[in-house]
Amino acid sequence: MQDLRDAVVSTLIDQQEQGANLSVMVADSTSTSKIGPFEKAYPDRVINVGIAEQNMVGMAAGVALSGHVVFTANAAPFLFARSNEQMKNDVCYSETNVKMLGLNAGFAYGPLGATHHCTNDIAIARTLGNLQVFAPADASQAEAIVKHAIKHKGPVYIRMDSDKLPVLHDDYHFIPGEPDVLVEGDDVVVFTLGTLAHEALAARDHGCNPTVVSLPSLWPLDELAVVELIKSHKKVITMEEHALSGGLGTIIGELILKHRLTQPLQAFGIPAYEFTHSSSRAALRRQFSIDTAGLVAALNGLSTAAAREAANEH
Amino acid sequence: MDAQKSKTFQEIKTVARQARRYVLQMNHHAGKGHTGADLSEVDIICTLYMAVMDRGEARPDQDRFILSKGHGAGGLYCSAAAMGLLDPAVLEQFMGDDTLLAGHPVHQKLPDLIEINSGGLGHGLPIAVGLALGNKISGRAHRRAFVLLGDGELAEGSNWEAAMSASKFKLDNLIAIVDRNRLQLAGKTEDIMPLEPLADKWRAFGFEVLECDGHDPESIHTAVTQPSQGKPRVILANTEKGHGISFMANVPSWHHAVPNDQQLAQGLAELEE
Repeated sequence: MQDLRDAVVSTLIDQQEQGANLSVMVADSTSTSKIGPFEKAYPDRVINVGIAEQNMVGMAAGVALSGHVVFTANAAPFLFARSNEQMKNDVCYSETNVKMLGLNAGFAYGPLGATHHCTNDIAIARTLGNLQVFAPADASQAEAIVKHAIKHKGPVYIRMDSDKLPVLHDDYHFIPGEPDVLVEGDDVVVFTLGTLAHEALAARDHGCNPTVVSLPSLWPLDELAVVELIKSHKKVITMEEHALSGGLGTIIGELILKHRLTQPLQAFGIPAYEFTHSSSRAALRRQFSIDTAGLVAALNGLSTAAAREAANEH
Repeated sequence: MDAQKSKTFQEIKTVARQARRYVLQMNHHAGKGHTGADLSEVDIICTLYMAVMDRGEARPDQDRFILSKGHGAGGLYCSAAAMGLLDPAVLEQFMGDDTLLAGHPVHQKLPDLIEINSGGLGHGLPIAVGLALGNKISGRAHRRAFVLLGDGELAEGSNWEAAMSASKFKLDNLIAIVDRNRLQLAGKTEDIMPLEPLADKWRAFGFEVLECDGHDPESIHTAVTQPSQGKPRVILANTEKGHGISFMANVPSWHHAVPNDQQLAQGLAELEE
């Protein structure tokens, strides 16, 4: 079990030791980002701008102009909402060397309510332009993505989570764009956003045998590899702690349309026009069937209502 | 003042006058542009490039200039053309299709002149603060970040977030210049969202505040080159929107009006005087 943030921070330390010229910017988010060990090793390389996300992202672009590889690390809901124009103009349009870590995305802040839920970041990120977009499912993916982000010259967004999770790979070879097939099953392929891979994998403990795919790299995306995965199954399911508008379900749906595939798509996420409520992450996942029980019900061919009921019994 | 400096200031005035001619001609030709805003800033830009900034080394080891008031792109292009940093023939492309000279500055189009894409307001100061800080962290504290702010854009809160940061990080290699022409799109800054007492506001945020005549190269130069007090510096440059042309000066509608044939002829004649 490992926290993705620990993997990110140890990778940053490692890369800085190897001469990466990194700076990390936080908006009072030193504990949220768990950046402490990096700050201890490189105190002048952590820049805390206080609770001021617009300024953080604008400054990040400026620090990048001075030659640094700049990471910003703060809560994802505020990154996207407060600094959207800075992300667009100063980072993406200007192609400055800024890597943005969106912490505690999705329902990670469940009981803190909708102000703290970040459920539209992928929709925004994939429309900004010049932005690579990643969502690791575990520490091994997070480490590989951070290494790639440092090497890639230009804007990167990484959607992060904060739970301690099992590590999926001992020796992970990350190729940007490539789907990460976690297990191969029979009729159904389940595409998962970020850490929902773990909910999907657990369906196998309930007698189900879907193919489970993690998409750590939303952009770039190896479309043909995804299309091949869809073609080799009878049905497609997507799972995401994100609005159904513009998220993973939309991405897969667009590919189905573009490549004229006939597989039915069942997308689990937040329906359009709904605000999430203050609840535990587990309860929120249950509400929208974005969990193991919801997936098991769907795989067993139950109706949505029955799926919810089954999920509630879980 | 020594003779050499006096000669330089005279040269800057001559170049700025040429920049003004280009502004009128370019915007007339394009039928577009922020004429008033361009004329407000050319003396500041020419003074920085001709007498202040050290741009001898390759980036990132240079003094750098960021145009926060991106709608003044035309003033930057025309100053560059007058200073010999841009082929004046290119000015004919201003705001045309697929042009090098976009309506707001684009780094990818003119990488040597434009540090970062601007146009959304309230962005330049945070970027300049980051650049000044990055230079300090990298052991290049002598390399300065200059940013030209419109006064109207000071209503954006991001400026004051950045001002707090500049002060916290003691960025004495940051020089912000406010093009204080007191006009914005919809009218007078003091009617729309009052900024005064502006100097006190900056002081309260930990800045060293200087004022200058934003149309006098010597006055600008004096303010910029004063010995540092170890603080970030802001210079309130008193300017006139549309400066240099009698019928444009201090007239709000010239923010983004362009001269017609007759106005162009009259403006060019005034610049000959």
